[in-house]
Amino acid sequence: MAVAERARRGAPTLEQRERRFAFALLAPALLLLVVTTTAPLVYLAWTSLQRIDLGMPWLSGFAGLGNFAKMGGDPRFWNSLLLTTVYTGSTVILQVVIGLALALLVLQIPKGQGVLRVAAILPIVLAPVVVGLFWRTLVLAPDVGLVDTVTRSLGLGSHNWLGDPQLALISVIAIHTWQWTPFAFLVILATLATLPPDVYEAARLDRAKAWQRFVHITLPLIRPAVVMVVILRTMTALSAFAAIFAATGGGPGSATEILNLYAYRTSFSELNLGYGASLAVVLLGMTLAISYAMFRLRRRRA
Amino acid sequence: MTASGDSRASRERARGIALAAIAGVGLAIWAFPVIWGLLTSFKTERDVLAYPPKFIFEPTLANYREVLFGASSILPNLGSSLVVSVGATLLTMLFAVPAAYALARLRYPARRASGFYVLATQMLPPVGLIIPYYLALQKVGGLDTYTGLIVIDLTFSLPFAIWLMVSYFEDVPYEMEEAALLDRAGRVRALWHVILPQVRGGIAVTTIFVFLNAWNEFLFAVVLGGNRVRTVTVAMFNFISVEQTQWARLAAGAMLAMAPVILIGLFAQRHIVKGLTVGAVKGGGRR
Repeated sequence: MAVAERARRGAPTLEQRERRFAFALLAPALLLLVVTTTAPLVYLAWTSLQRIDLGMPWLSGFAGLGNFAKMGGDPRFWNSLLLTTVYTGSTVILQVVIGLALALLVLQIPKGQGVLRVAAILPIVLAPVVVGLFWRTLVLAPDVGLVDTVTRSLGLGSHNWLGDPQLALISVIAIHTWQWTPFAFLVILATLATLPPDVYEAARLDRAKAWQRFVHITLPLIRPAVVMVVILRTMTALSAFAAIFAATGGGPGSATEILNLYAYRTSFSELNLGYGASLAVVLLGMTLAISYAMFRLRRRRA
Repeated sequence: MTASGDSRASRERARGIALAAIAGVGLAIWAFPVIWGLLTSFKTERDVLAYPPKFIFEPTLANYREVLFGASSILPNLGSSLVVSVGATLLTMLFAVPAAYALARLRYPARRASGFYVLATQMLPPVGLIIPYYLALQKVGGLDTYTGLIVIDLTFSLPFAIWLMVSYFEDVPYEMEEAALLDRAGRVRALWHVILPQVRGGIAVTTIFVFLNAWNEFLFAVVLGGNRVRTVTVAMFNFISVEQTQWARLAAGAMLAMAPVILIGLFAQRHIVKGLTVGAVKGGGRR
């Protein structure tokens, strides 16, 4: 009784206390995030307006928007932008299509799903840099790699999978797809498993064809999960680094140099941190714009 | 085979076999590079370069002996990775769990905005963070230190852990919390004794993910590390430039470097799938 009375009398205080409690729990984490992420970003923006060339330190100084103006006439920048689009678009589409198809198939297998789930975990838990190294040596090396062994025995000959510019781009797309398709597969499989079976039963009695059943029943039900997979996979692809870095280093030349790698190489190989920072700002803007657009899309459709 | 068209049962069986075959191919493609790496790690360098590839060979432990106790032993690197990963994981969980509870359950001003802020920090490309960290740490002599690497690891682990924990806190029934509060237990005690035990599973899953991500991290470690703090992912990368053609040794090193995450992956398989799903279906999209 006393509790209820106090609660009635002291309603605002209770609310105040909840607020204070929330603040006490949240403030340390938020403060830490401001210090570790937002402050460095301000510094990044400031750096992007500077000329900081550790190779030629005497030229350093304020450059205004000079770094950004420089991008317009920098073919390597436009190339990296194009590669980012191709790399992100193709890997995300491949992951979702293959993952979805495989999940739909596997759902119909009565036994052995568990084994497949275990195998799917393997690529996900591996460090991308190790994946890149594995592919560079054991899988894609000319003559002795697994892929070359297969193509040679099929009479398709030996290829320099990471040394030829076009093949190298296909190779790094394949590596990324190999590593992250299991994510799409596992998430979609788990989502499919939660769907009520009677929806399907009804459709089956209606003699709905498999494709129609998929388009009209399954797909709308799993769309939120698929959209979320697309968002998360896009973010990963945009900031992909270690696997490409280990497999090709961005090369040959700049054949696999997505914007992320270009920003890295400019900053830490060529030691031009000012220009590197401005490239990173562009990538940051792109990432935020794309994620914003995708979340809006998701909310409107949901 | 012509009879299979007639009877329903055998058609079903044929379908089952076809499905299993497709699943088998998927399985082989995902698991094989890892199995092949494991086999390679027991080969001599001669056997590695054999064509056609050897499946049956005389296994040797020489590669493991070399990467563990040889001139370029990876033991110190495993130690570095352990310090960074454990440090980052503990700090992350310490800050993320209370924050996630507040975001999931408490009413306070600017709740939406704070949730959105956490989400936005999760989207930041790492290369955008490494440049200012490098410049700042260089000025204060923080390069090649554990502190620097642990702090920058928080930039991706903290937002991620907060969001994953929010989805677990949201699943705790309200009644439970109210009952505890009516029982005159204070907020702190209700959280500690009633809510936290309910999300034990979520805490375990989140800890696993944060540890995996920190262990596998490469970009920050290669830029901010050095001779003193060199994590195992960086050591693996250096391997290929230093010992160009010693793939068996590389494979042995990679197997040791990845042993912790592979073991976690295999043993916590169910939890990982659940964590991925929770994160993908709920996390982030809520607000």
